[in-house]
Amino acid sequence: MAVADEVAKRAVVTKQNTNGASASLHQAGTNGQSASNDGQIERQRLRLMLLIRRFEERTYQEYSTPRIFADGSKEVKIGGFLHLYSGQEAIAAGTAALFDKSRDYLITGYRCHGASLALGMSPHVAMAELFGRATGCSKGKGGSMHLFDAKVGNLGGHGIVGGQLPLALGTAFAQSYKKTGGVTFCFMGDGAINQGTFNEALNLASLYKAPVIYIVENNGVAMGTQVERHSAEKDLAKRACGYDMPCRNVDGNEIDTVIAEFGKAVDRARAGEGPSYLVANTYRFRGHSTSDPLKYRSKEEAERARQRDPIGLYEARLRDKGLLSDEQLEAITSSVNEEVEEGIRQAEADPNPPLEARFDDALAEKYPYSPK
Amino acid sequence: MPKLDLVGAINLALAQEMERDERIVLLGEDIGLNGGVFRVTDGLQKRFGCERVVDSPLSESGIIGTSIGLAMAGMRPVPEIQFEGFLGPAYDQLVNQAARCRSRTRGAFTCPMTVRVPIGGGIHAPELHSDSPEAVYAHTPGLKVVMPSRPYDAKGLLLSALRDPDPVIFFEPKRVYRSLKEEVPEEEYTIPIGKAQVVSEGTDLTLIAWGAMVSECLEAIDRLPEEVSIELIDLRTIYPMDVETIVNSVLKTGRAVVVHEAPRTSGFGAEVSSLIQEDCFLSLEAPVQRVTGFDTPMPYYKLEKAYLPDADRIVAGVRDCLAY
Repeated sequence: MAVADEVAKRAVVTKQNTNGASASLHQAGTNGQSASNDGQIERQRLRLMLLIRRFEERTYQEYSTPRIFADGSKEVKIGGFLHLYSGQEAIAAGTAALFDKSRDYLITGYRCHGASLALGMSPHVAMAELFGRATGCSKGKGGSMHLFDAKVGNLGGHGIVGGQLPLALGTAFAQSYKKTGGVTFCFMGDGAINQGTFNEALNLASLYKAPVIYIVENNGVAMGTQVERHSAEKDLAKRACGYDMPCRNVDGNEIDTVIAEFGKAVDRARAGEGPSYLVANTYRFRGHSTSDPLKYRSKEEAERARQRDPIGLYEARLRDKGLLSDEQLEAITSSVNEEVEEGIRQAEADPNPPLEARFDDALAEKYPYSPK
Repeated sequence: MPKLDLVGAINLALAQEMERDERIVLLGEDIGLNGGVFRVTDGLQKRFGCERVVDSPLSESGIIGTSIGLAMAGMRPVPEIQFEGFLGPAYDQLVNQAARCRSRTRGAFTCPMTVRVPIGGGIHAPELHSDSPEAVYAHTPGLKVVMPSRPYDAKGLLLSALRDPDPVIFFEPKRVYRSLKEEVPEEEYTIPIGKAQVVSEGTDLTLIAWGAMVSECLEAIDRLPEEVSIELIDLRTIYPMDVETIVNSVLKTGRAVVVHEAPRTSGFGAEVSSLIQEDCFLSLEAPVQRVTGFDTPMPYYKLEKAYLPDADRIVAGVRDCLAY
């Protein structure tokens, strides 16, 4: 019920927005061009990228270290598979700069931690979900691929590659139908463009002039198969040439470029001119999941990619502009670290879901059979 | 004789049959260079080349569709779908195309392919990576559905599947992949599709299971008092089901409990139960019991144990049935 209430509340807010009162929400200092003079907004963006990175790297550690109880018994802290976002932070953080929580939607694939943190999910709530705690955003019953937050329009992670593409079309259709001026950001990996849903969703989106932005987070590899081996057309921007919508490559490691280029697509969508397709080229520092043997890439390639670390690039730019001092960076880093550690501490102390919880949420009604 | 786990037994069967039959081609996501998400096809691309072990993009519908075409053109494709949940995007090709190839063309074309799919829970994976949809495919005329519970059977059943004239969904229980090692002969042998195995003989009650649930049943039998005599049947093939073995057993014991991981409603246990009722009605001492998963998607790992039938729940089911 709680989630349904949140959705209803958000819909009310959305209605007010149609009056234009908050149409300027996303332009109010969030667009790349209108950044503040003292660099506060820029440092916030840097902080967000650092937060995502820190969360992911700590998650990796937590995944690799079992929990040890007083009696010496052990259990894994994070079950199942883990797909980390490290290296791709500029895309989620750049999107957050454009995202209007009162009327926009974001939907993504299974690599969903970055987007959720970017839309304001606390490290505590996210880590609680990974730990399978009742306080997690999916009540501890989903895990890594199941980060959702209805009240801010975070439609979350989807485990079937490409499964989210038509859904994004649907939410955009609703935004257009309700005339909210909202847009739907649909993230996908480069692997998803080879799914049949890609063709159906992009064609329909263009036909319906839906306010959806299809964003390919091109980290160069679909699970373990590089673009060169999985896409006949190597320039992934061209893969959407047949749908009569803008399609272009974006440097996905440069947050300012992300904001500027995504921003154009947002303006187009909000103006009712229809969808766009953007390929944000990036790199994931970790494997597809934690069980990826990484046979498909060399150490040298990975090291080269580190030279274009989105965080390093942005940090250097802010320094050049005189918007970031050593002290400021240190303060940001330690506050990020503290926030993540505090989140982990809280999640560690939180309770597991009660046993009865396994019968909730399959349908609105209660589970029809008494379990045997 | 080498001791192999399920992964090793399947790898061996694939390699041997590829050696024997050059019509066999493997297709799937990361099956070549990476050796498959569970490393089942490890080393096969190196040995047989990229033309026979094909790394495909993330296109499940395309993988199955390509395989159907290959099969219709006289090849023996062996597609791998990484997890049972990923069969979803390929459902149309599998159910509307592959399964009906023979009947639609009245035998002019056939679809001899073996779709290898990891199935089931118990490895701490989330939904779409832990489900048990065997009943869905058993409910699709034109498909055969096989699920080994152990390495020895996996090799023999897979060789039969690879030589079968029709499409076979070969479900590989993930939690058995590395949990059980046993002697698997190097030499070639087949286990017929459609034949169940009586794992242990008994006179009081028949336990019927398949896949990962077989070892849970063995554990349950261990926990029951020795004087309770249980006959355990490992179905091995879901469809076509070995009705004869089940019926002969239940005619003898008069009681049956069916165990599966999948949700209860319309699970394959319902079919087994119904057949027993049809064929053994006058011999039954108690209603057929089911010990199953629940009618919900697979929960995250904290609740996984509470979802999957385990020895305790099987023992309880057995006791209920005996006490009726």
